[in-house]
Amino acid sequence: MRDLKHLIYFEDLLQEAHNELVRKGKEDGNLALGYTCYFMPEVLLDLPGCFSVRLRAPRCVSPDMATYYMSGRTCHYGRSLFERALEGGFNFLDAQLATETCTVTCRFQEHLKAMPDVINNVKFKVSFSDVPFKKNENSIEHYEKQLQAHVLDFLKSEYGVDTSDEAIMRAIIAHNEVCRIIREIGDFRKLDEPTITGYEFAVINLVSMCCPKYLIIDKLRETLEELKTREPDQRKTYRCKVLLAGSENDDPEFTKLIESCGALVVCDRYCYGAVEAREPIEIREGETPLRAVARHYLLTSQCTRFMEQDEMRYRKKRIAELAKEYKADGVIILSNKFCEYWSYERMIDTIVIPRDYGFPVCSIEKEYINSASGQLRTRFQAFVESIEIKKLQEGAK
Amino acid sequence: MKKALKVLGKIAAIGAAVYAALFAVFYFDLDGKALFKFVEPTLVKHYDNMPRRDPMSRPYGDKPTNE
Amino acid sequence: MKKPDLNKIKKLAKDFLYGKPHGERRLGDLYEPKTGLYKHREWRGVKDTFYYFNNIWLYNYGMMVADIMKYGGLITFAKGVWRYRWVGQSYLPVMHWFDRGLEGVRGEALRASAWHYRAMVNQTIDQFMRMFKADQNIGGSKDLYDRTIAHDETVWGGVFYPYRDQLDDIPLQMIPYFVTCHVNNHTVLNYIDATQALGLPGDPCPMCQAECGLMILDDEPDYYPAFITTNEACDASVATSVIQDWMINKPLYAMPQPMQFDDPLVQEHCAKEIEGAFRFIEEQMGVEFHWSELVKHLEEQNELQRFEWEKWDVAANTPYYPITGTAQALYRIYQSQRGNRKIWHDTDKRVRKILEKCVEQKIETFPMTRHRVIAWSCAPLYYSHWCTWAYNCWGLNCVINMDSLMFDMTIRTDNYDDMLLDMARYHEWAPMRRMAVGGMQHIFELWENMEKFHCDMVMMYDQLQCKGMQGVHGLFEDEFRARDIHAIWMPHSLPDKRTVSRAEIRQIINDYMFTVMQEEPLDPSLLEFDDGEGW
Repeated sequence: MRDLKHLIYFEDLLQEAHNELVRKGKEDGNLALGYTCYFMPEVLLDLPGCFSVRLRAPRCVSPDMATYYMSGRTCHYGRSLFERALEGGFNFLDAQLATETCTVTCRFQEHLKAMPDVINNVKFKVSFSDVPFKKNENSIEHYEKQLQAHVLDFLKSEYGVDTSDEAIMRAIIAHNEVCRIIREIGDFRKLDEPTITGYEFAVINLVSMCCPKYLIIDKLRETLEELKTREPDQRKTYRCKVLLAGSENDDPEFTKLIESCGALVVCDRYCYGAVEAREPIEIREGETPLRAVARHYLLTSQCTRFMEQDEMRYRKKRIAELAKEYKADGVIILSNKFCEYWSYERMIDTIVIPRDYGFPVCSIEKEYINSASGQLRTRFQAFVESIEIKKLQEGAK
Repeated sequence: MKKALKVLGKIAAIGAAVYAALFAVFYFDLDGKALFKFVEPTLVKHYDNMPRRDPMSRPYGDKPTNE
Repeated sequence: MKKPDLNKIKKLAKDFLYGKPHGERRLGDLYEPKTGLYKHREWRGVKDTFYYFNNIWLYNYGMMVADIMKYGGLITFAKGVWRYRWVGQSYLPVMHWFDRGLEGVRGEALRASAWHYRAMVNQTIDQFMRMFKADQNIGGSKDLYDRTIAHDETVWGGVFYPYRDQLDDIPLQMIPYFVTCHVNNHTVLNYIDATQALGLPGDPCPMCQAECGLMILDDEPDYYPAFITTNEACDASVATSVIQDWMINKPLYAMPQPMQFDDPLVQEHCAKEIEGAFRFIEEQMGVEFHWSELVKHLEEQNELQRFEWEKWDVAANTPYYPITGTAQALYRIYQSQRGNRKIWHDTDKRVRKILEKCVEQKIETFPMTRHRVIAWSCAPLYYSHWCTWAYNCWGLNCVINMDSLMFDMTIRTDNYDDMLLDMARYHEWAPMRRMAVGGMQHIFELWENMEKFHCDMVMMYDQLQCKGMQGVHGLFEDEFRARDIHAIWMPHSLPDKRTVSRAEIRQIINDYMFTVMQEEPLDPSLLEFDDGEGW
């Protein structure tokens, strides 16, 4: 396939959190608002005068200072973020919109609150929202109240942001446009012969979360147009298709590693890469824009935090449904080391998905930044081979 | 009367002997030793060899009801 | 012929009558190597030895039989023992659990602490016998099965108060996991290994791993038609709910508590989830909400709380508090989590008499105290009795601990709405959670509690797999230095003695006491001994 015109530019943007477009967004007089979790609706951080930045710590391989504070026995992602903060890499942030949705990212954000000197920006403040564990009416109501108090009211009172319904509506419209583009780009992955690789998609999707949307949208549009005429390679460059599911992952190199072993990643279902994250927000009749946002983010999320019985069961089915929809031959389940949610979920999925839904699973525990790529490569190669053997056996039958 | 006293005496003597024996069990931790060296290993052997169901073999799909 | 040394005879007689003074006891010499068994039990002087023998050892063995008879009979008990590892391995060594927790303890402290243990044993028997009587795995009663609801051990028993006259609530893991770890730490290792054998990494909370293992190994009684779970205390508890749901495969209600619990906005949401639990119980169990029953139990529970406050007052402000650190921690967490039961009131009545006596007569219950210690974060279950060792060896008197301070409130009963909001708050303040979530300010309540309880040292539990506590490690170090506080980090792995053994824990404390505090032990025989194979 011919190279995507903006791919190198996008890759460059992902080399650091404080990238060229974030700088530009600040120069334009906007507030940079950090967040770490899908439960902090990015659309509310993209209100007029603000832009959202989903925090990453690219190339952080040795979070030594953060390890002093958070010990070596916590998630590498949370520690890397704190390391980057201690290094001054997040000084551009004007506020952190925090959630207590998993322990270690919460602790990272609490450190920002407890150690106000870490972020060298006088404006900087942290506001925490409580996120429910269920998807019932009570939870939506609660979530809406939280977003009102700890996001909208906070932004209005501390920074004078316009948080009116009209402003939220404008943000939703802009957000939906980004979602439409990303979804359309993602749909090329459903083709029998996909015209986009998993790596390329991961880069494009991440860029849309880490840069001011108004500054990146044109290039996203162009990329979409480019993809419409892109032809697949004459000769297939992959041996099977896989779905990648699991915990936090903002490292496109990981997807590249999988693809270099012959498995094309056709669908993502992990934090920072969930297909659901780019579903457009629909405002139902009688709903305020905020209510729609609260409902949307609770109901679309497939986070392992949800505890209702049918949700806990559906999550497994959902992976199988996506694998089917995207014509995947197998599923790779990843969990970050020390991620408690996904340690369990990965163990369960590894048993349930092959047995009850018929998709082979490769179960991986990884670090935030992968240093043990040789071991992982061996695992992925073996998985690809096992899928090929399975296909051969099925063909023989 | 004398007989009754004798019986009572006997009961008291047996009681005292039992009490003394129990005190010996207590003081020399004979209960602990017996449990540690004989009872627990026997039970562990039993539990280790017990046939058990495999709850993991149950499919994990639709929601159950009590109907 | 050599003249007998009168002084020596006098000393022997005195030691026989009153027990050896603290510095001469050499309690470490009583252990057999490795097993933690005693060559002989401690001689505490005539009065205390016979108190221990009659009122603790004989009495409790007797009561263990009596309780079994009272709550269901020997046959049911035998069936349960034969079927479930956790009860067979853990029930019989109960008296050794008493021994470990009461080593070196004398006088009123011995009496008051032992009553706490007795109450916990009674409630343990009550619960597992109810499980067995209703257990469909061993031919239990279907009628009782239909009148018993199960819940995660971190769901407060008070949620079931409105139905206590119609059903009983038995936590799923309180006895099979929590209690057994204290009594016999061998058992739990099977469950942890079973979970890891399925591919779970070793780093998630071992409590949750063990709870999963119980189900994976089919070692949970089948005594209930429905189940209530919760997100307490941490991410791993949430994740464990999935295993619970899969293994149990019965109607399940999740009753999560908010994380940011200081926020007044979360209370209504939390209260509604509790009401959801009420509806679930009513639908699944066919019972009715009885307001009077709820009020009765809440008021009785408030009485228990008020007495706890009185106890804290004595512990904080006098040297007369007659309860060991171990008994304080275990009884409080057990009682508050289980909810209102008659035995707690009976026990508190007895303890109150002893407490009042100590205060009135100014009895210094731990006279060799060199440092008043507060224990913070979550404790090693396999070494909850470190407190008695630390006092005997070093004079470290553990006055209070974090888990004791959790449910620090009474609940209003004059109207439904306030009551519900208080129940929500009560649940939010559960053990392992009150200080761990909702912001770092909670975990740093340590400083005010140190002051309140007049403590000069911190035993900082360092649960190696607790992400919440690991994630705040450095700030504690900074604060300890800034405030010039002596703190000993005690690494452990909650129920799993293989990660950090009891001997290693003792060594860490010894090292600190020698090198930093520059102190000498009160009982050098306790410095080093091997109890690695002990219960």
